Amino acid sequence: MQMAWKEVKKSKMKFLILGSIIFLVSFLTFIISGLANGLSEDNAALIKNVPNGKFYLNEDAKQTYSLSKIDVDQQDNLLADYNGATAMSIQMGFVNDAEDKQHSVAFVTSTDSELFPNVKDNEVVLDASLKDEGIKVGDILTNNQFSGEFKVVGFAEKQTYSHAPVAFISMKNYQEIYRVMEMQTVFIPGSDSPDSIKGLESFTNKEFLNTIPSYGAEQMSLNMIIWFLVVISGMLFAIFFYMMNVQKIGLYGILKAIGVKTSSLFSMMWYQMLLITVVSLVLSVGLSQLFSMVAPAGMPFSLPIETTLLLSVVFLVIGFIGATISGFQIKKVEPLQAIQQGEM
Amino acid sequence: MAIFTIDDVEKTFKNGDVSEKILKGVDLDLNEGEITALVGPSGSGKSTILTIAAGLQKATGGQVLFEGKDMTQMSQEEIRKIRSSEFGFVFQSSHLVPFLTVEDQLLLMLDVAETKLNKKQQKQEVLKVLDLVGMSHRKDAYPSSLSGGEKQRVAIARAIIHQPKMLFADEPTASLDSKRSKEVMEIIRNLTKTLQITTLMVTHDEEMLPYADRIVTMKDGLID
Ligand SMILES: Nc1ncnc2c1ncn2[C@@H]1O[C@H](COP(=O)(O)OP(=O)(O)O)[C@@H](O)[C@H]1O
Ligand SMILES: [Mg+2]
Repeated sequence: MQMAWKEVKKSKMKFLILGSIIFLVSFLTFIISGLANGLSEDNAALIKNVPNGKFYLNEDAKQTYSLSKIDVDQQDNLLADYNGATAMSIQMGFVNDAEDKQHSVAFVTSTDSELFPNVKDNEVVLDASLKDEGIKVGDILTNNQFSGEFKVVGFAEKQTYSHAPVAFISMKNYQEIYRVMEMQTVFIPGSDSPDSIKGLESFTNKEFLNTIPSYGAEQMSLNMIIWFLVVISGMLFAIFFYMMNVQKIGLYGILKAIGVKTSSLFSMMWYQMLLITVVSLVLSVGLSQLFSMVAPAGMPFSLPIETTLLLSVVFLVIGFIGATISGFQIKKVEPLQAIQQGEM
Repeated sequence: MAIFTIDDVEKTFKNGDVSEKILKGVDLDLNEGEITALVGPSGSGKSTILTIAAGLQKATGGQVLFEGKDMTQMSQEEIRKIRSSEFGFVFQSSHLVPFLTVEDQLLLMLDVAETKLNKKQQKQEVLKVLDLVGMSHRKDAYPSSLSGGEKQRVAIARAIIHQPKMLFADEPTASLDSKRSKEVMEIIRNLTKTLQITTLMVTHDEEMLPYADRIVTMKDGLID
């Protein structure tokens, strides 16, 4: 639409203001979304890295993995029956390094599996973030509940749980530290994992994430901010286009009088909305990706381009709805009113 | 032969319980290519009959025949089509689009009227018409930089560029001084005569009457 573009060119300031508001709101949304995602990775990368499937907890465990104990015989049967099934346990704890400095970790152990590093007794594989704390392959770590010593044999990328780096240890060592024989959960990968197994409760990966105490609360509040921002930006669109349309009632009347279709007036508004939103979004997507590259290492920030694109589509839809609602005035304008109102 | 016939047109405005009959059966024939001036005291219903004839509001009784077809029986969309391709409008205010240049105002009108000209022909047509109203040197100007007389010339150019059959003008010179008014009337007369456009014009300015072919007086909602 030529007319739409010509108006943008003539009234640069007006559209620049709207554009910068959309830019700021969407940029803020992307940054918060990056933080939400980063925190979620930081909190539960261990679980997020696992392919889709189901986790099973003991029915008596009240959806709390730390209370769950899988019967040893049942576990053996499940591992035998389902290809790729793994039993695993997670507990928060500490390791001490040679200088007796304490590092908080999440101890994880599992049956032989492709999903997690398999470690021998008295060995440990750590999340790579502990390298930054000065731990190297070959270092010796201790734990006050454990009679032996752990030798660091390697590092795993992005394995965190409950905001702590994961330490993979052998089942025997785990059983000694926590004085339990049973594993907490069995994971069966793939979509054919059964919905119900006698005595056990099943959880999809997402449901299992929400059993991590901090995870649900954290994500909920951040997601709430994100959706608030999205709704606010929709309202901004509606209000802005409303004000712009009110200013142009007279013009719309004249255009209608000379025979311009109401639908053309709507297209004009949609074109302007699309133009401003796309330009603002391109800028904020670009800038947020740039931010994601230069974000300080300690900052949990992760913003996949897919997330920004998805949010951008939401912004476009919301902007469209906002502009359209405000555009109902255009429909009501009577050409005659405008003519009798005199000079614009 | 009349190209446009207003036949026993009535208009009643309702304001709550109060209703007031403004037009009490107006009859008027407009002959092809003629300029008809509608005069009469303020409030006698001149603008009302003009806007009804132009399809900008509905009569509450009677018929409005354009080329033999009754516009009071047409749908909104049919009337819009007629307004965009067969009618032209000039009002007391020029009502130009503030963010379009003079040239773009006229190009827009050609688009709206769905003329079958290509882009190049459209531009040529615009220049030709701007020449006729003496405004081709301001084709890149925005309305805000034009004087009242210049705006009105552009408004006239916009009203006739798509070669409509009818021109409706409601006090087109009311905002101009005597000299500019005469210039504008000169232009209206020349253009409508060259293009054979039938014109209905409301005016209260005696000085404009010599430019009309016929003068009709309205009084109290009736043609005198
Ligand atoms: N929309 C309307 N609602 C109510 N009354 C109206 C409306 N439009 C015009 N009128 C009345 O109709 C009468 C004629 O108005 P108009 O046709 O504008 O007169 P003129 O153009 O001859 O001065 C006036 O008394 C005016 O108040
Ligand atoms: Mg009037």
